This record gives sequence, structure tokens and C-alpha cells, in this order.
Amino acid sequence: MRWLWDNMFGYWMVLLAISLGAAALVYVLWLHEAMHL
Amino acid sequence: MFEFAISGIQAPIFLLMITGFTVGVVGGFIGVGGGYMVTPALIVFGFPGYIASGTDATHIAGKAVISSVRHRQLGNIDWTLALTMVGGTMLGVELGVKLLNYTKSIGLSGPTLLAGSVLIMFGLFLYTQLETRRAHKRIEEISEHGERVGRELKTSRVHIWFQSIPIYPIVKCTHARVVISMWVIVLVGVATGILAGFFGVGGGFIRVPALVYVIGATTHIGVGTDLVEIVVSGGYGALRQSMSGNVDMMAVLFMILGAMIGAQFGSIATSFVRGPAIRYILSYSLILATTGALLRLIYVLTGQKIEALAFFAVVFTLGEMLFLCLFIVSLVLFSIRHTHGKPVPKWVPPLVVAAA
Repeated sequence: MRWLWDNMFGYWMVLLAISLGAAALVYVLWLHEAMHL
Repeated sequence: MFEFAISGIQAPIFLLMITGFTVGVVGGFIGVGGGYMVTPALIVFGFPGYIASGTDATHIAGKAVISSVRHRQLGNIDWTLALTMVGGTMLGVELGVKLLNYTKSIGLSGPTLLAGSVLIMFGLFLYTQLETRRAHKRIEEISEHGERVGRELKTSRVHIWFQSIPIYPIVKCTHARVVISMWVIVLVGVATGILAGFFGVGGGFIRVPALVYVIGATTHIGVGTDLVEIVVSGGYGALRQSMSGNVDMMAVLFMILGAMIGAQFGSIATSFVRGPAIRYILSYSLILATTGALLRLIYVLTGQKIEALAFFAVVFTLGEMLFLCLFIVSLVLFSIRHTHGKPVPKWVPPLVVAAA
């Protein structure tokens, strides 16, 4: 966990994972239905 | 859900405002319009492709005005550089579009152009990333010796060669502290304009590294000056798109509402960091845009049949905006924490300056 904080690449990966997770949630909650209408 | 009469679709307003905000933050911080993020995002939200492109261009012009005003207050614009370059940029974009139409007429396909833009962006990412890592290490070394480090440090020496070209008239850009042949500035504008017009890659992606590495401006000046270029080129693009009826003004309005706050935050955020931090975010946005374009390229080449690829392309389009925005916000927070003597990750101190 410390490595993820103190290493720029580790921090990069954590932020990217959070962002992609949030984007996937937006897709599932709002966009999936609209895109398949 | 809001019904957009011009586009004939329904889309959630808050997603448009969040898109405007996040792209505003990123654009104000690294000096790009963000078309590579907004156009695919609008298509994902259900807007037809031509409306997405026109709406994006119009929103970029408005957002660039907001960022430019803030960067002018921060002293990040060199007007001599901006005004000398802008003619070359406009000429370059027109030449690029003409070249694009010509290559289409001789049968050069869309995937070939997409592959070309992927290669250019990946090359720019590699150069920017490697140079910025060297600069990051150099700042660490200087700090370890107890010496003060300014707001900018570059390890690239390419600009020295370009500044030594003795073709008159020589222009003195007082604010950027650059003395260089006018023709170099104009030709950089033409070259970056051609690439932007031909490949459809936003001009800022290519112009900011060119201003920093070829002309020799500091990263902050590069960002501010490039935003002035975007006001002109984006304004021209918005006018052309509006005349063709490709703009959904309600969508522009909602995005601009988010961008009004985002663009100001992104511009002010540059005063919390050193040049290499901006170049890091620029290189990250380049690799993310490259990956996004690569995903779309594979999706097109596989006949648009693989559902998982479509899902990844959508998630990636939205995720990259959020990622860049979060990274910029966290850099500002780290800068404030560092100023107050609170613990921050080891890689942060060389990248931030003391918060005011």
C-alpha cells in the first residue's frame, strides 16, 4: 500500500482504477440502456 | 434527462456538466481544447457524430476564452509569440484539411489516418515522458544539494538549435524570454496546424510540446499562449460549424456551465506546480488519447462486432477525463499540504511550488 502512495506509477494506477470504475458505473447506471434503445 | 431538440435525443444534463467541468480542468491546466475527449463522449451520450463534432468545437472556443483570461491574469501569455504564431496555425490547419480531402480522394482510408495519429501521439508521449522524468530527477538532485529550484526546469536542448537560426526578422518575446527568428515561429505554427488539420488531433497536443521544446518557452507560457491560439482557431471552427448547422446550443450551454468553473480551476492550478508537473499530465493525456484511439481502431478493424471492445472504448473515454481531472486536483491538494508541512508522497515535492 505504501508503494502505491510513494511511487508515482503506483499512484497513477490507483487513480486510473478509480476513474475507470466510476466510468463503468456511469455506463451501467445511465448510458447502457440509452445506447441500446 | 433533457430533450435536445436540435439533436433529437435525450441525455442526462449532469453528465454534460461534468464533462464540461473535467475537460475544463484538463484544458486549463495543460492548454489543450480536449476535442479528443469531448467528441467521443458526446457520441457515447447519444449525439450524432456531426453534432458532437460541431458542439465540441463551439464549447472549446468558449472554454478557451475563460482559460485565456485567467492565464493572462497569471502572466502566462506571451502576446508577441501568440500573435506571430496564429497566422501560421490558421494557414496550417487549412492546408491540413486540404491534404486530408486529397488523401481521401485517392482512397486513403480512415483507419490509416487513425493509425497515423496514434503513431504521432505515441511518439510525443515517449519524448515528453522521458524528458520530464529526467527533469524530475534533476530537480530532486538540486534540492538534495540544498539549492533553490525555479518554477521551470527542462533537460531538452532542441530549442537552442532553433533559436540559433539567423534568419531575419528576429523576434524578441519579452515575456517568454525567447529571442528567435519569426520564420521559426510561423513554420512551427504551420507544421502543427497541418498535423492538427490532417489527423484531426487537437492542435494543443502538438503545439504545447512545440512551444516548449522547439521555441523554448516555459511550460506555463506554452500553456497560456496555446490557449490564445485555441481561442482563434476554435472560434473559427465554431463559426464554420454553426453556419453548417452542426451545433446543439443547449448542449454547449450545459457544458460551458461546467467548464466555467473547471477552466478557471485548471488555469489557477498551474500556479501550484512546476513545469514538469504540467508536462507529466500532458504526457499522460497523450498516452490515454493514444490508447483510446487504438481501442477505436481495433473496434473498427474488427468490423464493430466485439461488444466488449465497445464497452471498453466507452468506459475509457469517460474514465480518462476523470483520471486527468483527479490527478490535477490531487496535485493542488498535495501542494497545499506540502506548504503546511504535512506528509505528501515522495515524488510530489519536486513537482509543486509553495501554495500562496
